[in-house]
Amino acid sequence: MATFSGHFGGGVQSYFMFLRFLVVLNFLSFLLIAGFILIPSIVFRSTSNMTVDSTGCVCVSGLEECRVYDPNLQGLVVFYQYFLDLLSGTGFMEYSYMFYGYYNNTVAESSGFHYNLPLAYLLTSVFYFAFCLICIITRMGSALRIAVATGSGAAGSYSKMVFTGWDFGCQGDRATQLKQKSIHYQLQVDLEEERLQKKSLSLTLGQTVGLCSLRIFLMLVSLALIGGAFFGIFKATVFSQAQVGAEGILGLFWVYLPSIVITTGNFVVPFMCDQIALFERYSPSTTIIMALFRSVFLRMISLGVLLFTLWSQITCFKDSPKCELCQYNNKEYPCWETRVGQEMYKLALFDFLITIAMLILVEFPRRLFVDHYSCALTRWVGRQEFLVPPNVLGQVYGQTVVWTGALFCPLLPLINTLKFFILFYCKKVTLFSNCRPAVKTFRSTTSIIFFLVVLLFGWGIALVAMIYSLAQIHPSMSCGPFRSLTMMWSIVPNTFYTLSLTTQDFIFYMGSQAFSIPLFIFSCVVLCYVAALAAVYFDRRKWK
Amino acid sequence: MGTTASQLRKDLLSEYQELTFLTKQEIILAHKRFSELLSKEDRNIPTPRVPMEKVLSLPELKSNPFRKRICHVFSTSDMKDGSLTFEDFLDLLSAFSDSATLEIKSHYAFRIFDFDDDGTLDGGDLEKLVNCLTGETDDTRLTTEEMRQLISNILEESDIDKDGTVNLSEFQHVISRSPDFVSSFKIVL
Repeated sequence: MATFSGHFGGGVQSYFMFLRFLVVLNFLSFLLIAGFILIPSIVFRSTSNMTVDSTGCVCVSGLEECRVYDPNLQGLVVFYQYFLDLLSGTGFMEYSYMFYGYYNNTVAESSGFHYNLPLAYLLTSVFYFAFCLICIITRMGSALRIAVATGSGAAGSYSKMVFTGWDFGCQGDRATQLKQKSIHYQLQVDLEEERLQKKSLSLTLGQTVGLCSLRIFLMLVSLALIGGAFFGIFKATVFSQAQVGAEGILGLFWVYLPSIVITTGNFVVPFMCDQIALFERYSPSTTIIMALFRSVFLRMISLGVLLFTLWSQITCFKDSPKCELCQYNNKEYPCWETRVGQEMYKLALFDFLITIAMLILVEFPRRLFVDHYSCALTRWVGRQEFLVPPNVLGQVYGQTVVWTGALFCPLLPLINTLKFFILFYCKKVTLFSNCRPAVKTFRSTTSIIFFLVVLLFGWGIALVAMIYSLAQIHPSMSCGPFRSLTMMWSIVPNTFYTLSLTTQDFIFYMGSQAFSIPLFIFSCVVLCYVAALAAVYFDRRKWK
Repeated sequence: MGTTASQLRKDLLSEYQELTFLTKQEIILAHKRFSELLSKEDRNIPTPRVPMEKVLSLPELKSNPFRKRICHVFSTSDMKDGSLTFEDFLDLLSAFSDSATLEIKSHYAFRIFDFDDDGTLDGGDLEKLVNCLTGETDDTRLTTEEMRQLISNILEESDIDKDGTVNLSEFQHVISRSPDFVSSFKIVL
């Protein structure tokens, strides 16, 4: 890990540590899911004498149409069809442990052992989200502790930077030059910000108004660009969902259309926003932060638009007659959870393939071209610069896709673990062989906190999606563990009422006022104590 | 000469250990590295001096932008040519060692940054210091305007008695507010 910071700066090291954190997080989540959902499911399938259909069956007559689900299990298929199915999650992959539709609503009972699979499925998904949240917050806490200890040092920053900035243990010409460049850049940035600040204070009223209106206009332009991208995604998703059943390579293209549009938008729109930012004349650090926020907004909300489009198709927001019978669009989506899972799977896979393709088709040839031919063009283009923020956003986007899809595609965390693992080593190879260090270094102490905040934002979006699916949409009646319920969440109250009366009374008591108000007061007291302790230690450090 | 040229006498070793911040192993290693820098004739004279160019060939100092100043500060030569005896070399390693105190390090840092050796850091010293930090080539220097702005900011922040220069106590005041100075002012063989 130390080789990264020595050659490329602290920001790159933070990026690779963040990537490693994501690999570990995904692997642990996969173990969780495997232990509670996958392995019991495999066991129950193979020993089918133990299975009993769950209680509370909504067996209203006239709904037989809703229970029709045939995932096209053909006998002999053309060989390349397997490959197409692998890429789009249909065919042999659709009715497998990969997707929601394969799991049964079994409640296994045998000599004192009771295992309710639907309940386990739901609770594992909920706990998976909570587990990820705890991991992120713990990681953020330890990073914050380091950041506070080294201090932000706003006062006296120039003299500190100049007198204590040099690391005398730095050896080798390359490391020395890198350090010199980064000090140079840091000083330039700080001096320029100070100059801009002084200039903005000295502007006349007319000039200030002009600058503000220019900035507002450019902000609207960039928002319009982002809105255009969203509209494109909406149209692409609607069109792609209507093309289900198309054959061959063209069919694959239609199926991947939303992913293609999202990825194109993620390349084109930030590039155009960067060109706009040149006219906005903010200070350098504000420009970087604005660009990052725009990229984050674009990526996360485009995923949200995709989900919204899917949901509106499934539940027919416009109250069309398609949804009257089963409360969801059963003609086009006999098993809608599997379709959503397939969409997320395709997004994750496409993201991975594009990254690998970029490495092989763009970065390696670029390096070969620049190293072996020297003309004005190659000197202008130069080697690839390893920019940390776009790479981090790519990883956060991938992780958000996994979180959104984990409820519908339980094996997605495993796929993501493998994907990030391979990506770690590929990026390491490309970093050392193809890239030159970025001149504009990203501060390493605050950067990992920023990455985790963006990751939390992605988590929030996935959480909203999950809550909406659990609580609002009618589960498919033809497949999956929740096929007999009106709402996925209702398994919990149903099971709750089967517990013994004393347990029910105890849990009701814990929720009532007589318990929760003293608990709240106690937590406030503990919080005040901890805050007072923290203040004492902080003051001690200042006096030292 | 044999493989271990002139071994350090045990009484000298313990004397050096008492006078510096270095451990026994560090002193023995320093002796070995210093002997490698000596030319054949110099090995037999009692207190050999290594010329500055040879000292600057050490990998730990070769790319350091302050290498010449470090040699000048620790040299006890009458001719002010930056050459070091073994005891000067030990002084150098002691000041840059892990166990040296903040006062020792800040004292020597001040002397290294004082390019004209007049006991204070004035504008000229600060300019040379910044140029060492950013690199000496033309495209890595700050512009004249930026340099002027930077030096006036530094003096505004650290010059408490407003005499236009930074003296040792003002310098040490700035250093004391920075927690990683001790770990960055370190050279280990």
